[in-house]
Amino acid sequence: MSSDQEHSERRARIVQGIVDETGVNEEMIVNLVHTFYGKVRTDPLIGPIFERVIEDWDPHLAKMCDFWSSVMLMSGRYKGNPMIAHMRLKMVRPEHFERWLELFTETAAEVCPAAAAEAFVGRANNIARSLQLGMFYRAEKYPPPQARQDAP
Amino acid sequence: MTFVVTEACIKCKYMDCVEVCPVDCFYEGENMLVIHPDECIDCGVCEPECPAEAIKSDNESGLERWLALNAEYASKWPNITAKAAPPPDADKWKDVPNKFAEHFSEQPGSDHNADQSRAA
Repeated sequence: MSSDQEHSERRARIVQGIVDETGVNEEMIVNLVHTFYGKVRTDPLIGPIFERVIEDWDPHLAKMCDFWSSVMLMSGRYKGNPMIAHMRLKMVRPEHFERWLELFTETAAEVCPAAAAEAFVGRANNIARSLQLGMFYRAEKYPPPQARQDAP
Repeated sequence: MTFVVTEACIKCKYMDCVEVCPVDCFYEGENMLVIHPDECIDCGVCEPECPAEAIKSDNESGLERWLALNAEYASKWPNITAKAAPPPDADKWKDVPNKFAEHFSEQPGSDHNADQSRAA
């Protein structure tokens, strides 16, 4: 069970299960990412934030395709720290996440079959919630270890 | 929300999770890994990857103790970003109960990538 080959076979089976269940593939990811950010850039609420932060869109879109490929198909192509990247954006508020999710959900429904759209949106919701916890609420939820040791 | 590593990881430490984690949020102890709750983005990719089924969502009840342990040791142990060789006897420990009380080590993983890939 612990040989490399057995582990990669195991991963291939898991990924195949996701593909069979949802129909997600790389082409769909590229289409979703490009269509979605096309909408984001012209959105009155969140467009200006992205235009301010993203200097060069082609590498950003490629990075987002890598991200979604890693999340949906376990490709391991993306490695980064989105939590820190988002925490630096002091102008971002919860309503911006809400709009992001609205546009993402809308785009997924347009460009993906229902099962795939559901899978993308489910992951997006979890990730958005987690980023928001880190950006807006983390301090109460995970006090630093010293604080916990001092607690009664 | 975050995922947490639980008791089943102890002495198994397969590290498949490290390979698929997009945000490199695993930290390595001598015989267990933990997830940094402030860095995990809840993408869920690692959960089905774990051969020992040690990774759980903190949505599940009864994991408070493990969440606290993950948070504590993620700040003490080194970050691990590439899978190394699991312990040679990992499979033997897979379904052994009570591993935390009997085998948990507070020691950090040392030179994990270099040493263990040479050993492999």
